[in-house]
Amino acid sequence: MRLPAQPGERLDRTRPLTFTFEGATVEAFEGDTIASALYAGGRRVFSRSFKYHRPRGLLCCTGSCPNCLMQVDGAPGIRACIEPARAGAVVRAQNVLGSLDRDALAVIGKIGGPFTPVGFYYRTMIRPRWAWPYYEKVLRNLAGLGRVDRHGRRTRRFDTEHRRTQVLVIGGSEGGVTAARAAAAAGEQVVLVDEGLSLELGGLDELGIEVVAPARAIGIYEGGLVPVDAGNVLLRFRAERIVVATGSLDQPLVFPGNDLVGVMLPNGIRRLVREWALRPGERAVVIAPAVEPIVDDLRAAGTEVARVFDLNERPPKEIVARGRKGRLASVRVDGETVACDLLVMSSGRQPAYSLLAQAGARIEYDAATGIFVPRDLPANVEAAGSVAGTSHAVPNLFPASAGKRRFVCLCEDVTTKDVRRAIAEGFDSLELAKRYTTVTMGPCQGRLCHLASVRLYARETGSDEAAIGTTTARPPWSPVTLGLLAGRGHEPVKHTSLHRRHEELGARMMWAGAWRRVHSYGDPAEETRAVHRAVGVIDVSTLGKLVVSGPDAVAFLERLYPNRFVDLKPGRIRYGVLGTDAGRIMDDGTIGRLSEQQLYVTTTSTGAEAVLEWFEWWNAVWRMDVEIVDVTGALAAVNVAGPNARELLGRLTELDVSPDGFRYLDLKEAPVAGTPCLLLRIGFVGELGYEIHCPSPLAEHLWDTLLERGADLGVRPFGLEAQRILRLEKQHIIVGQDTDSESNAIDAGMPWIVKLDKEDFVGKWALEHLQERGPRERLVGFELDGAAVPAEGSQVVVAGRPAGRVTSARWSDELQRSIGLAWVPPALAEEGSRLEIRLNGSLQPAVVRARPFFDPEGTRLRS
Amino acid sequence: MSFRLSCPSCGPRDVNEFAYGGELAARPQERPDVRELGSYLYFRANVAGVQREWWFHRLGCELWFQAERDTRTNEVLRTDACVSETQAPLADGPVEPADAAIPPEPAV
Amino acid sequence: MSDLAFLSPSLASAVDGVSPRYRSPLEHALAGAGDALRDLSTLGKLEVRRELDAALEAGAPEVVRIAPNRTLVLCEAEAAPALAAQLGAVDVSAALAGLALSGERLMRRLTDLDLDGLPAMGAVAGIQCTVLRDEDEFRLFFAQEYGDHVAAVVLDAMAGLR
Ligand code: FES
Ligand SMILES: [Zn+2]
Repeated sequence: MRLPAQPGERLDRTRPLTFTFEGATVEAFEGDTIASALYAGGRRVFSRSFKYHRPRGLLCCTGSCPNCLMQVDGAPGIRACIEPARAGAVVRAQNVLGSLDRDALAVIGKIGGPFTPVGFYYRTMIRPRWAWPYYEKVLRNLAGLGRVDRHGRRTRRFDTEHRRTQVLVIGGSEGGVTAARAAAAAGEQVVLVDEGLSLELGGLDELGIEVVAPARAIGIYEGGLVPVDAGNVLLRFRAERIVVATGSLDQPLVFPGNDLVGVMLPNGIRRLVREWALRPGERAVVIAPAVEPIVDDLRAAGTEVARVFDLNERPPKEIVARGRKGRLASVRVDGETVACDLLVMSSGRQPAYSLLAQAGARIEYDAATGIFVPRDLPANVEAAGSVAGTSHAVPNLFPASAGKRRFVCLCEDVTTKDVRRAIAEGFDSLELAKRYTTVTMGPCQGRLCHLASVRLYARETGSDEAAIGTTTARPPWSPVTLGLLAGRGHEPVKHTSLHRRHEELGARMMWAGAWRRVHSYGDPAEETRAVHRAVGVIDVSTLGKLVVSGPDAVAFLERLYPNRFVDLKPGRIRYGVLGTDAGRIMDDGTIGRLSEQQLYVTTTSTGAEAVLEWFEWWNAVWRMDVEIVDVTGALAAVNVAGPNARELLGRLTELDVSPDGFRYLDLKEAPVAGTPCLLLRIGFVGELGYEIHCPSPLAEHLWDTLLERGADLGVRPFGLEAQRILRLEKQHIIVGQDTDSESNAIDAGMPWIVKLDKEDFVGKWALEHLQERGPRERLVGFELDGAAVPAEGSQVVVAGRPAGRVTSARWSDELQRSIGLAWVPPALAEEGSRLEIRLNGSLQPAVVRARPFFDPEGTRLRS
Repeated sequence: MSFRLSCPSCGPRDVNEFAYGGELAARPQERPDVRELGSYLYFRANVAGVQREWWFHRLGCELWFQAERDTRTNEVLRTDACVSETQAPLADGPVEPADAAIPPEPAV
Repeated sequence: MSDLAFLSPSLASAVDGVSPRYRSPLEHALAGAGDALRDLSTLGKLEVRRELDAALEAGAPEVVRIAPNRTLVLCEAEAAPALAAQLGAVDVSAALAGLALSGERLMRRLTDLDLDGLPAMGAVAGIQCTVLRDEDEFRLFFAQEYGDHVAAVVLDAMAGLR
C-alpha cells in the first residue's frame, strides 16, 4: 500500500521491479530498498533477535540497528532498510529455524532461567567437563547471524583502489554538504562520501565535488587513512583534511517492551513516509523530546496520532509497551493506557562521533545537553554539522517501570537486568562489562545502545555519565564484507628464468620463501644417481647474489664475517658463515674475489633479502667506502655436478677446464654457450661441480644447451630433494634447516671459519665467550642401524632421556643407509658414539659419524 | 599499522614500504665483559614515548635511516638520513637498563 | 678490475652460427594479453649508486633520478655495457623487467604512490618498483623474478576495470 506521490520521494514509479523474499515475489519500484518494498507489501516482522529469537521490526530505517538484517543473494548480514531493491535479488530471513513468523528457536526466549543471561555458557555448560565439545557444537550452531556457505567460491569481485584528495568529507548531511561547498569554493579538491541516505547531494558535481555514494567510511586509521566501502571496491583514501559530518543518531528510550514490532525511531518514520510513501501504522503514540516534526510526518501519512508525550515539557515516570505475538498493541504511560500499533519514541539525538574518536578526538559528556560530544580534534580533522555536538538527549531511564524485559542492547539481546547482574558480579568498569555482556559489540556498534548503557551503568553504580565515560571506538564503524578487506589477494611470488622449462618437464614445485623451486622431476633417488654416476643440472638461480666493491670492500666483509678474506686471492672462493653480534648463524654462502676491490657474495635463497638489509645496515653504521649491488635477479644460476661435469662444461666454453686450469674453489669469468658467465667451482652436492651464473634472459638458452650437449653424457635435471640427499651424504649443513636461531658456527662444527685473532668482527665477543665456555651441544652426522628415516625434529635419546634432536634425515640410495644430522651433547660428538632416536614411539639405535658419509676425503669434489 | 613515514630521500610513504630496524643500541667500543655484552645484545629501553629507531626503505630506495617516533601514538616527529659519526648508533646509546634487571650471566 | 660482463645480456655472441636466444621475463605472461601493455624488459638499464655528476649525465639518453644516491639510466640494450663503464654504473638490464601501461585509474588499483610525484621508487603490486610517468602513460621497472606476478596483477586489475 503506497501513499500518493510525496514531494521528494525516492521512488521512480515508472520503473517497477520484482525480487523474491523467502521464495515469494515482492513488487518494488526503482528507488525502493528491500525493506521499504517488503513494508509496502505488508511485512512488519523483519528479523528474529540474536539470542531470544524475538520478532523484530523496522526500528531506525537508517542502517543503524540490527533489526532488518537479512541474507541477500547469499551474503548474510545485509541491512535491508538501506540495501537498494534490485530486480531478481534473492532475499531470505536469517537466524531463524523455520520462518520469520514462526521461528522454532523462539523457544529459547521463553525458557529463560539459567540458560539465557549473559555469560551463561561460561557458567552452565562447563560441567561435566567431557561434555563441553557437545555443548560447543550446539552453541556454534546457535551463535552468529546468518550462514556462510563454507564450500562457496568467490561469487563477487572485490578490488582495492588507492585514492588521494585534499579534502575528504564523510557524510552528506547538511553540515557535510556545506563544508564540501566551502572547500570547493576555496579551490580545494573535494571528495564527499555518503551512505546514500542523503537527499541533498544534487548539483555538487557541477562544483567539481566528487560524490562517492552509496559508500561508507569504515574507519579513520593511523596516518589519516580512511578506507571507504564503495560496494565492490575498497577505496583507501589519504586526505590532507578530513571533514566528519556523520550527523547524529536517534537514541531509543529503554522501557519494558521497547523491542516490540511497531516501536520505531523518528527518523525511521520520516524515511518511510517521505522517501518511500508508506504509512508506518494506523494509530500512533509519540514519546520524544521534539514532537512536532514527527506529528507532521505521521499526519502526512494519514496515521492517526492518538497521544503525544513531549519529553521536554513533562517527562513521564513510567512507560510500558505491551504486545500481542510480538506486535505492539498498547502503551501505558503514567497509568494511562492507549491502544496503538505504532509507538514513535526517542530520548533525543547523540552525535555519531565514532570516526572522530578513532581519529584521536577526546569524547566528553556534556551534562547540559545530556550527550557525549567530541573535543580536542586532531589536526587536519574537522567536525561539521550535528556530529560536533549540537543535539541533545533527555536522560530518562524509567526506573519505575515494572514489567517485562527492557532491552539496552537489541543487537545482543542484553537487558537492564543483565547489566545489573554483571555489575553485581564485579564487572564494575564499563570496558570490562562491555566484554562480558557484549553490549555495544553487535552490528550497531553502539549506535543505539552506548548512551543508554552508560546511563544505566552510572545509575546502577551511583556514579554519573561523565565519570563512567565511553568505551574505545574502533573500526569498523560500518559493517564490512570480509571479501572487500581481502581484495584480490595476490601474494608476490618469484619465478626463476627457468620456471617454464621446469613446468614443461613436469616438475613438482615447492615453496622456498617467495620462490617456487623444483622439488623433483619425479624420482629424486634416480636424480641422485645421475649426479653420482654421470652429470646433473640444478637451477640455483634463487641464490642471493651481491657484488660488493670499493676500496674498503675486503675490510667490510672482514668486519661482517668471522672468516678471513684479506688473504683471499682474486679468482678464488671461500665458504663463509654470516653471524650476528650474539654469535648466531644468520646465513651462509660463498665469497669470491673478482678483483682487488670487487667481491662476489652469494647467500641462501631465502636469506637474500635479509642479508642485503644486513649489509646495508652495517654500511650505514660504519660508512666505509663500499658499494653493495644486489644482482640476485640479474643472474640465473645452474649448478652442473657429477663426474661428467668437466666434459660437459668443456664442450661449451673455451676456458681451460682441466683440473689444474680450473681448480676447486676457483672463480672464472668466461662465455659459456655464447653467453657471458661467471663460473664458480664449488661442490655443495659433493661431486665435481661448477656453478654457472649467467644473465637471466639467457638462462633458457644455457639450460637448453647443457641438456642438448650433455645428452650423451647422461645429463639429467635434479631438484631440491635430490640436492638435500646429496648434501647430507657430505654432511653439508643448510642454514635454517640444521641450524636455528640459537646455533653458532663453533657448535655447528665449523670452528675453522672463526678467526678470533681478527681485531673485530660482528659476533666476535660472543664467540669468544662461547669458546671459553665450551660447547653445550654439537651438530653431528649419524646413521641409523635400520632402514627407517626419522622425521625432522625427532628426539635424540641417551640413557632414556631426551638429549638432542634430528635436523635432517634421508635415505641415501648411494650408501643404502638412513643418514642424518642431529644436535647432540658434546660428549657424544665423537665418531662411533651410540645414541637412540625416537621413531614412531620406539627407539632406534644410531651411531655418530663425525666425517662425511660419502667421499670423506673429498677426492671426487676436488678431482 | 597505517601511519606514514617520511623517507629522507623519497618523502612520505605508507609504513608498509619500510622494514623496522629496532631502537638504536650502542655497540661497545671495547671488548665487553659478559654483563656488558648481555646488556648490549638483549636489553632495550622499550620506552613509552619518543624513541630513536632504525628504518629501512625496503620497497623503495633501500636507505637505512633513523626516525624519532612516539611509541604510544606512532607519531613520527622526524626522520633523517644522516648517521654522522657522533650520531652513529655506536655512540648514541639507549637508556641504561636498571642494574637489577640484568641477570648475572646472560645466556650468550 | 672486472668489468662484470656476466651481468650484460647484450654481450652474448653467436657460437657455431647460433646466437643465444634472449628471453624477456614477461614474454610468457604477456602472450595473448593484447597491446594494452608493452614489454620494456629488453631495454638497457643501468643503475648508479651515488650522485651522478652532470658532465657524465649529458652522455646518457634517459636519466631517472630516484633518490639522491640512486639513479636509473635507460638506454638501448646494446649500449648498456659501454655506457655502464663510462658512468661507473652497474648494468641491471637483466635484473629489471619493464612494463608500460596506461591509465591513472589502473595505477591506483596497483599502488598508493602519489601519481603526481613521479618518478619514484615504491610499492606497486606489493613489490619494489620504479615508476615513471608521461601524462597518462606509466612505465614500471621491477625485479624480473616478479615478472609473472606483476603481469598477473596488472591483467587482473585491468579485468576489474572492464
Ligand atoms: S531498521 Fe534497518 S538498520 Fe535499523
Ligand atoms: Zn626511500
